[in-house]
Amino acid sequence: MRSRDEALLTEILPPEERAVEAVVARYQRVAPAVTRFARSLADDDALRVRLGSRTQAEPGEIVMDPGVFQAAYARRAPVTPSEVALASALHEVIHLVATNFEERRPLPREWFPDIDDPIPEDPVALLDALDKAGGPAAEAMFLAVEDARQEAQNLDVYPGARSVLGDLYRAAVPGAIGRARPMGQFALCCFLAVGGYQDVDTLQSSSTERHVAAALEEARVLIDDARHASGPWETAAIALGLLSVARLHGLLTEASARETRPETDARQEEDRNRIDEGVDAVRMITPILRDAESYDATKRATQAVVAERGAKSDVDQAGDPSTDQILRVSEGPDVYLPTGQSGRLIVSEIPERFARFAPDGRDAIAEAARRWQVAQRHISGELYPLFVANQRRGLRSGYDAGDLSPYSALFLGAGLFERMFERRSLPTRRAYAVSLLVDGSASMLQPRPLPGGVKAPWAMAAATLGAWTLARLCDELQVEFEVALFNRAFASRVDDTERSYIDRLNATRGSLRRTQGGAADRLTRTVNHYLVKSFDQRWVAAEPTLAGLFWTAAKPTEAATAARRDATGSPPVSMFEKAANVDELNVSHAAERLGTRHSQVRMLVVLADGMTRGSVETLAASVDAVEHSGTTVLGIGIGDATVEAAYSRSQVCARPEALTRAMIEGVRSALRKSIALSGGDTWWAHQSLLYDEGTRSERTPRSMNG
Amino acid sequence: MVEPITFVDPTGRGGPIELTTFTVAKDLPDHDQRAGKIPEPDPHYVDLGMLYKLAAIEEVRRSGLVETPLHVALRGHMGTGKDHDLEQFAAMLRLPYYRIPLTGEVRDITLIGSVKLFGDGRGGTESRWQDGDITRALRGPGLINLSELNAAGAETLFALHALLDRYRALDLPTGETVHLRDDTRVFGTLNPTDLRDYAGTQTLNKAFADRWIIWEKAFPEVGQIEAMLTRRYPKLGAPFVTTMARLAIEVNESFTSADARTRVGTPMSLRTILDRIPAGLRMYAADADPLRRAWEEFVLTHIDPFDTDHYETVWSAVARRGPEGPPFGK
Repeated sequence: MRSRDEALLTEILPPEERAVEAVVARYQRVAPAVTRFARSLADDDALRVRLGSRTQAEPGEIVMDPGVFQAAYARRAPVTPSEVALASALHEVIHLVATNFEERRPLPREWFPDIDDPIPEDPVALLDALDKAGGPAAEAMFLAVEDARQEAQNLDVYPGARSVLGDLYRAAVPGAIGRARPMGQFALCCFLAVGGYQDVDTLQSSSTERHVAAALEEARVLIDDARHASGPWETAAIALGLLSVARLHGLLTEASARETRPETDARQEEDRNRIDEGVDAVRMITPILRDAESYDATKRATQAVVAERGAKSDVDQAGDPSTDQILRVSEGPDVYLPTGQSGRLIVSEIPERFARFAPDGRDAIAEAARRWQVAQRHISGELYPLFVANQRRGLRSGYDAGDLSPYSALFLGAGLFERMFERRSLPTRRAYAVSLLVDGSASMLQPRPLPGGVKAPWAMAAATLGAWTLARLCDELQVEFEVALFNRAFASRVDDTERSYIDRLNATRGSLRRTQGGAADRLTRTVNHYLVKSFDQRWVAAEPTLAGLFWTAAKPTEAATAARRDATGSPPVSMFEKAANVDELNVSHAAERLGTRHSQVRMLVVLADGMTRGSVETLAASVDAVEHSGTTVLGIGIGDATVEAAYSRSQVCARPEALTRAMIEGVRSALRKSIALSGGDTWWAHQSLLYDEGTRSERTPRSMNG
Repeated sequence: MVEPITFVDPTGRGGPIELTTFTVAKDLPDHDQRAGKIPEPDPHYVDLGMLYKLAAIEEVRRSGLVETPLHVALRGHMGTGKDHDLEQFAAMLRLPYYRIPLTGEVRDITLIGSVKLFGDGRGGTESRWQDGDITRALRGPGLINLSELNAAGAETLFALHALLDRYRALDLPTGETVHLRDDTRVFGTLNPTDLRDYAGTQTLNKAFADRWIIWEKAFPEVGQIEAMLTRRYPKLGAPFVTTMARLAIEVNESFTSADARTRVGTPMSLRTILDRIPAGLRMYAADADPLRRAWEEFVLTHIDPFDTDHYETVWSAVARRGPEGPPFGK
C-alpha cells in the first residue's frame, strides 16, 4: 500500500502537462546533465545528444524521439514529473549508447543442440544468428533480457534514476501479470529479475501461474548470469537457455510433428507476441530494443538520411523541422492568467527583413499622416517642457535656481557659470514606460469601410501610423517605449524571408502531422508575440522595420506581390494569418515586461479588432489584474466593441484618423494625468480624461470574472 | 630531535619512503614562534597519493642528485585539498608551516620587506628595515606555501626569481643576502587559469612558471571520498557515505566537462563534502530525509542559480531520496 505522500503521476499531472511541448520543456531542464551522463557512459566527450523525430544511434551522435518520453508520463506510478523527465531520458540514452549488435561471429555450436550437421562457420550478425537458432521467440526473449542487462549494468551508477524506473515498472507489474499468458509472465519475470527490479522470490509469489514459478526457480542461475553477462552474444546464449527452460515447463507452444512451414511461422510469431505483450506492458519501450526491424531502422536511420541528402549539412545536425518547432514551442514562456488558466507564447523579434520596405514605408507614412491629419513634428507639444527634466538627468540648472553645486569649482574652471547653482528636478520627474500592443492577425489587413462607401485595408496601417507617431512622441519625451505585434499563426523567425517562412511552414506542418497527429495544428498555429521595438532598442534602430511594416499594412496587395516576385529577399508577409488571437496572454505578457522596467508610470495600449479566442471574461480579468498592478491599460477597438466589455478604459474607432488620434491622445492624457497625480497641479491635468473614464467611474466596479 | 618517518604509497605501486624529520634549532631568535607554527598531523587526513609524491621528491632533493632546488606547485580546482596536502607534509616533516597568500594586492615589499618608520622613544622617529613575509619565513627552517601563485602580478613575482633558481637567495635593499636554507622548502598552490570564475587569477608568467614543478591535483575519486568520510565519521552510515561520494563525483565531473553547455560553475569541494554536509546531517538527523535537507541547506545555497537544474538532476539521478535512518546511528 502506498503512503499518503506518494501521489501517482497521473493524479498530479494534468493532460496538458503531458503534451509533447510540455514534455520537451521538462526534458530541456535536465538535458545538460543527461548529455554529460551520456558522454560519461559512452566515454565520448564529443557525443552529441539531441532530440529528433526519429530515434537514431551512431558513433558520435544519438537522437531521441520526445514521443518516447511522452509515453512514460501516462504511467500510474508514485513518481514526479521531473523524475520521469530524467529517468526516461537517461533510460533512452543508456540503450542508445549501449546497444550494438553489429559484432559478427560464427554461429555458436551450442545454440543448435538438435542439429547434427556441421554449422556454417561464416561470421553472422547476432540477430541473424538468434533467428536461426530460435526464431522470433528467441529474438524477443533476447531483447527483453538485453534491455534489463543494459539497465542493470549501466544504471548502477545512477541509483536514483534506477529507482524511478523501478517504481514505473513495479506499478505496472500487477496489471501486466494479470493480463499476460504464462510465457509472457515468465519473460516479464526474467526482465524484472535480470534488471534487479524484483527478486525471483517476490516474482514467484506474485506470479499466478504455478508452472511459471517453477520455471523461474530453474532459471535462477541463468538470471544471475544475465545480470553479469559481458556482452550481447553472451546475453543471447542466456536468452536461449531461458527459452529452453520455458519449453521444458510447457510455457512455449509445442510444435506438432506434421506442422507445415506457415504453421511453424505462425506458432513462433504467437510465442513472440506472448513474450512481447508481457514485457512491453511493463518496460519503457525504446525503439532500438523493440524488435529487429526497429533496431535496424534506428541504426540505419542516420545513414538513410545522409544517403538521401548527400553529405551531412548543418540542417542534418540541427534537427528536423518538427522537432525544431516542438523545441521552440517548449522554450516559450508560460503565461499564467488570474483566472488560473495558462498558455504558452512564442516571443521573438519581428523579422528584420521588413526593413527592406522602409523607403516605401516612409513615403506612405508621410502620405497617410497628411491624409489622416496626424502631426509628425513636435508631437509632444505642451508636454515637452513638462518632461524636460527627463532630458537633463534630473538636474535643473541656472543662476539662483537652488543650492551651490558641489562641483562649482570645476564648473568655474570650465566656464560653465550657469551650472554653478543647480538643484534636483521638480518632483514631476518620473520614470515612464509605454507599451503598445497591436493585433497582428490577417483581419487587420482586410479592407474595411471608409466614409464614402469605399473599402480599404486601413486598420493595421492606422495602428502602425499610431505606433510610429507614439514612438516619435516617446522619443521626444525620452519615455521608454516598446511596440509588439501579436497573432496566432505559424511563428516566424527574426531572419525569415518569405521563402524560408513558407518552406519551414510546409515542412514543419507535414512533419508534425506525421509524428504528432492531432497535435500538429496546435504546434504549428501558436500564439506569437513579436517585438517590433523593444524598450532597450533605440528608436533609430527600430524605425526602418516599423516603416516597412507600415508599408506592408498599408499596401498588403503590393507587399504580397513583392514577396511573390522576390521570395528569397522579401520579408515573410505570409506570417499574418487569419486566426483568432488570444489577447489575454499577450496583455499579461506585455504587462509583465512593463513591470520589469521599474517605471513609476506604466501604460499599456492594446489595439484589437475582434474577439479573443479565449473569453472576454478572462481578458477582462487579465486587464483588471494588470490595472491593479499599477499599469494603466487603454483598450482601442477597431470597428469592434469587444474592448468595451474587457477594458475599463476603452475607445472604439471606426475611422483611421480616429484610431490614430485615440492612440496618441490616450497616451498624452495618461501622461498629463500622471503629472497631476505626482504634484503638477495644473488645470489641464484635471481636464484630462482617459476615453470614457468619466462615464465609467459612475458604474459599479466590475468583478475579476467580469 | 630527528626522527625517522615512513611514507607509504596508497596505490601500493611504490615502496615505502624513509625520511627524517627536521628540527628547529633552539638558538634561533624566533624559535618559540617558529616551533609554534609546526602543524599537528590531522588524524582524519587521507593521503590520496600526493603526500607520497611529495616525499618522493624530497628524497631526490636530499640525495643531492639535482643542484638546483626543486620547488613544487600544486595546481587544482577549489576544494581538492592542495593546501591540506602541504600542511600535512609540513606536519610529517616537523617543519614550521608558513602559508603566504599572494593576492593581487601583494607587492614585492610585502613579501621581501621594507624600511619603516618607528618611534625612537624620544619624540622622534627612526627608519628601520622590517622583513616581509617571505624573508621572515626564510630565516629558519620552514615549509613556505605561496598559495594562489597566479593571483599576484608578474612584476611582484619577479622579486622571487632569484630565490627560486640556482642563486637560491634574496638580496635585500639593506645589502643583506638571505639564503635559501637547506631546511627550508618552498611550495605553491594555484587554481587552473581557465574560463571558470577564479576571480583575480591570471596566466602564470612563463619565466616564473619555469622555476616550478607543477603537479595537477584532481578531484578525488569515489573510493577516496568514501575513505575520507569513513575515517572522519566512523559512525556515518554506509549508504550516506556512498551517496555523498557519488553526488560529489558526478557534480565534479560536470564541473570539469569541457563543454560549457553541460558544465556547472561550482564544484563540490572537499569542504562541502567533508565538513558542511556532515554538519547538515547532524543538524537535521531527525528530519525525514536528512541528506536531502543538508543538500538543500548546505549545497544548493552555494551554487549559481543557473546551476540549480543541473545539481538537482544529479541529485535525482544519484540519490532521488536520501538514505533512510539517522545518519550517525542511534
